[in-house]
Amino acid sequence: MNESISRLMDGEIDAAEMDTVCAMLKNDAAMTAWACYHTIGDTLRGETAVTRNIGMAVSHQLASEPTVLAPRRALASAPASWAWAAAASVAAATVVGWTAYSLIDSTPASFAKAGEAGTMRAAQIRALTVPQDYLLAHQEYAPANALQGVGPYLRDVAATSPMRPAVAE
Amino acid sequence: MTGSGLRPYARLPMPRVMRVACSNAGRLAPAVFVLALVAASARADDAMQWLSRASTAARQLNYVGTIVYQIGPRVETSRITHLYENDREFAKLVNLDGPAREVVRGDGEVRGFYPDAKLVRVEPGTFRNVFPSLSSEQQASLSAYYAFRVVGEDRVGGRPVRVVVFEPKDGLRYGHRFWSDAATGLLVKARVVNEHGDPVEQFAFSDLTINARIDRAMVEPSWPAIPPDWKVLEGGGDVAVESTGWTVTRTPPGFEKIMEGYRRLRGRRERVAQLVYSDGLVSVSVFIEPFASTSTSVGFMQKGGLNVYSVRQDDYLITVMGEAPGATVRQIAHSVTRR
Repeated sequence: MNESISRLMDGEIDAAEMDTVCAMLKNDAAMTAWACYHTIGDTLRGETAVTRNIGMAVSHQLASEPTVLAPRRALASAPASWAWAAAASVAAATVVGWTAYSLIDSTPASFAKAGEAGTMRAAQIRALTVPQDYLLAHQEYAPANALQGVGPYLRDVAATSPMRPAVAE
Repeated sequence: MTGSGLRPYARLPMPRVMRVACSNAGRLAPAVFVLALVAASARADDAMQWLSRASTAARQLNYVGTIVYQIGPRVETSRITHLYENDREFAKLVNLDGPAREVVRGDGEVRGFYPDAKLVRVEPGTFRNVFPSLSSEQQASLSAYYAFRVVGEDRVGGRPVRVVVFEPKDGLRYGHRFWSDAATGLLVKARVVNEHGDPVEQFAFSDLTINARIDRAMVEPSWPAIPPDWKVLEGGGDVAVESTGWTVTRTPPGFEKIMEGYRRLRGRRERVAQLVYSDGLVSVSVFIEPFASTSTSVGFMQKGGLNVYSVRQDDYLITVMGEAPGATVRQIAHSVTRR
């Protein structure tokens, strides 16, 4: 069980296992381990004050607040802010939603893809630059690429392509 | 929960045919089973036949046209000229928007010209894993993990076309819709869709002349001599096929290893290990190199239908990229281990 929790934190649980692991988390022992691992991680990163017993604190606060039954008017919000809100709601456990870095489209709208997959540790999320050499080495082997003649190179010559030839490399 | 986007994959609805077959299992099962087998293999043949025809047309026809390429919210146009002469292929792709970058392919070599960066790249530029020469495992994956369907007829760029789809049977791969020229089989439009059916990448010819009169001059680079102040980047050369000692323990179903070896890449002192996995339609590459704290970054990147995920594992940097959803690429990245 502890290993699964650890892998969940590291974003290593795949689609097939997700249901099982989430179901498994629904008991006190699992939640204690979950909180414990995060405390260890936070301590290592020097962020101790933030998450200690936050689960408890949130539960107590929820229990003491009255339940509002009147439906609230839905706010028309941009997908981007929805994605951020979703990320913020789980950020208490230092896990944030998968953040898609589209280099072609680095507008906030691309963050709407946040739901696509899994979780990553916040520390892992940084802008990724990929050597163009990798792209060329990869596309030799993609069967569908051969259907398009020089089609795969479209990605390469696109004016907005940030996958620039690595001059300084 | 952040994992909710993944969960539907695990619970695919059972096709009605299968349910019906089960409910009649006592009497009809053998007949239904045989019929289903025959139908499945006929479809697999259709798929391979379609792919082979499109692939051969792309290689062996002479054509010139304008390609509209859509990646995410951006649209770009390029001009493509393709010549097949004495069993050899020549092509020139010029970007019509922004800096006049071009890619010229001929004689087993691809040159990329980047006037904005005053740079030329020279690459071997081969396609190795092409239809119809896929391995039998790849062909089996293709029919097991995609449903091939002929949708019907349509028109693209003023030409009658045949529309086909490769629908993924699970959430681990993208869907592909292809429009091929009815007369020649040449692919004139292609679309990659995600699990919600939204296009992530698309290309289409807005005008196209097939069997056009094309001579060598039309597929020569715009810079016959490389300007003296430009930089020339030579490719790292061919892949050395050998065992790397690395493997992927939890490959998504249908993905089989098709290549394993080492490459020399620019700016890397040590060779980079490359493992390629394919499901018959797309492939995912795994790159493993020693982790250098300076120039490396980890994370996720999406570029149209291409997803890239980079993660550090002890002293190594693992980068996985492929024409597959983020979850698939990520699952592979996290199960790369030493044999």
